[in-house]
Amino acid sequence: MQGRSSDRLEMPLTTLRNGETGTVTSIRVGGGRGFGRGWGFEKRLMDLGLTPGTKVTVVRSAPFHGPLEILVRGSRLALGRGMAEKILVEIEKR
Amino acid sequence: MTKQKLVIALAGNANVGKSVIFNHLTGLHQHIGNWPGKTVERAEGTLHFKGYTIDVVDLPGIYSLSTYSLEEVISRKYIAIEKPNIVINVVDASVLERNLFFTLQIIELETPMIIALNQMDIAKKKGIEIDPETLERLLGAPVIPTVATKGVGIFQLLEKAVDMIEKGRPSTPAKVKYGEEVEEKISQVAKMLKGIQFWYPPRYAAIKLLEGDEEIEREASRIDPHLVSATKKLADEIENLHGHSCSTVITSERYELAGCVAREAQKIVPPSKPPIEDRLHTLTTHRITGYPIMVFSLLFMFYFIFAFGGYASELLNNSLYRLQPVFADLFGTALIGELVWGGVIEGIIAGVTIALPYIVPFYILLYILEDSGYLSRIAFLMDNVMHKIGLHGKAFIPMMLGYGCNVPACLGCRIMETERERFLAAFVTTLVPCAARTVIILGLVGQFLGVQWAFVLYIFNLLIIFALGRIASRALPGESTALIMEMSSYKIPQLKTVFKETGFRVAEFIKVAFPLIVIGSLAIKLAEVLGLLEQVAAALSPITVVWLGLPVITGITLIFGVLRKELTLIMLATLLGTANFAQVLTPVQMIVFTLVTMFYIPCIATMAALVREFGWKKAFAITIFEIAFAITLGGIALRLLSNVM
Repeated sequence: MQGRSSDRLEMPLTTLRNGETGTVTSIRVGGGRGFGRGWGFEKRLMDLGLTPGTKVTVVRSAPFHGPLEILVRGSRLALGRGMAEKILVEIEKR
Repeated sequence: MTKQKLVIALAGNANVGKSVIFNHLTGLHQHIGNWPGKTVERAEGTLHFKGYTIDVVDLPGIYSLSTYSLEEVISRKYIAIEKPNIVINVVDASVLERNLFFTLQIIELETPMIIALNQMDIAKKKGIEIDPETLERLLGAPVIPTVATKGVGIFQLLEKAVDMIEKGRPSTPAKVKYGEEVEEKISQVAKMLKGIQFWYPPRYAAIKLLEGDEEIEREASRIDPHLVSATKKLADEIENLHGHSCSTVITSERYELAGCVAREAQKIVPPSKPPIEDRLHTLTTHRITGYPIMVFSLLFMFYFIFAFGGYASELLNNSLYRLQPVFADLFGTALIGELVWGGVIEGIIAGVTIALPYIVPFYILLYILEDSGYLSRIAFLMDNVMHKIGLHGKAFIPMMLGYGCNVPACLGCRIMETERERFLAAFVTTLVPCAARTVIILGLVGQFLGVQWAFVLYIFNLLIIFALGRIASRALPGESTALIMEMSSYKIPQLKTVFKETGFRVAEFIKVAFPLIVIGSLAIKLAEVLGLLEQVAAALSPITVVWLGLPVITGITLIFGVLRKELTLIMLATLLGTANFAQVLTPVQMIVFTLVTMFYIPCIATMAALVREFGWKKAFAITIFEIAFAITLGGIALRLLSNVM
């Protein structure tokens, strides 16, 4: 995957347009392993299936910078925008 | 073998039909309480089958067995420590992969398990076909397809569960195998753990230590502090190797495995045209159609509740007050009679006439909304707004409840994930004008100053809620959390489940609120009989008369309002000798009085709910704050309005 990084873009999930699909690369929360809520939410996202390498489709976003509706591993999740901004995905160059 | 007691635990994700299966299994023989010392609900029931008495425990709906929430910790401790005879893992066939991620964790807990492959009908509509035999072979645990809402497969499920308890496992359970590097570290940690007695199986403990699980780390460091640092080092090695934290790597690999199993067991042929559930989902979450539908549904709901509640409340009130002569005959009209009627019975009547007419229909409609899945769509639409007060979309639900009654609303704050948010949501909720306060707003301001003024007060109330919510969210320590919520497919609500939930909630309300209502009304009645009320009113006059510009007797009504808010208005009419308030109160006084009653204190039943959920200290803090705030606000309003009106 790294070898082809030239024709791939890494961006926050929130930049995807409705209907677009990306692959999760990482989640930028807190200081990684250990304590604090950051870890808890990263873990929560993982537990819901947003692990690196997973395909995510943005179905729609609520108006006025509301939450996103995403499809991941066949399940439909609502994700607060602040959280979604921390999920980095890569997509094929448009 | 003597026929003995068996314990079956139901475990699974949220919204998979777990409680429907629970209801089928246990019928009416169930009770809902709390886990010891926790605010997490514990539903338990009994059934008799083949001569066994079987206890069924419905564990909370969760997505993982880590330490993200109290529910997760409780569930996994229950499975590991209490060791139920068997765990029935309820799996949503329409979201197989994510559900199997949870299944794999139960397998890792090395507990006997069978799988209820539920919601087969929803899966079919989505074009998902699952082969139970393949799943059974891959997981090494029996799989029973079920459609719980129609009662399909429940008997087979129970039969299989008991059969498995009697005969032991039919096949060896699958082993959750990770990648080579991770497996190597797991066995290294497991070796270190050798000889140490954990609650959890050694392999499970080893995996969780590598994941950085706080609870198990605490447990381990108590036994040997060196252990945690040693596992941390191993975890770091994994991190260096994969570029992701060890916890991420393990979770990913577990999901990979769940995905493999799901892909092998299911065939997906998407239907040519989206099912009606999906179209309904699009319509109700759409940026143009979503909001009008929501507003319309909520307005309809509140209209129905108030129309029905007002009618039923009056009916109940009238028929209950007909009992007064009976009591007068029984206890006389002297002190004792006064206390029994005015203190105890009127307190109970107050509870009954509020609880039953408003709360019952409110809960029924609310659970219909919840069961159908619409509530999560509302949370989706309102997330943005709730963020302005440091909460997220889910908090809109208790807030909505608050317009009916603050008591269930405070109890409903449990749906929030963290203690901080529960408290913040409860605080905001107590500011929401409940049905009783609506009576005052409409009965005083609405009636005598016009509906537009009542409307202004509602808007003002919302503004205050937002302002105070924002301030409180800044002041409270800790971060605010974001919405992470599943929106499962729309379902036709199960009336049986709806009525059952309503029944439990009403019982809970009665248990929490009634004792305090009765005690409170007895105390106030006693004060009245002893002639203390006038003195109290006089003592309060610097506040009521000087600062708020209200008649002296409002001091008395405000004290009664602690019992139930609409009493302030009823008492005011009694004490002033007229219900035509325009004769005795100026428009400004009406507004000030209404403002104060709107905010000044959570009623006694709400306080009981707050104490129950957050303890005396926090309940007290909210109460004191709101009294001070209402008085300050009322005085300022008086001074501002006097210049204008």
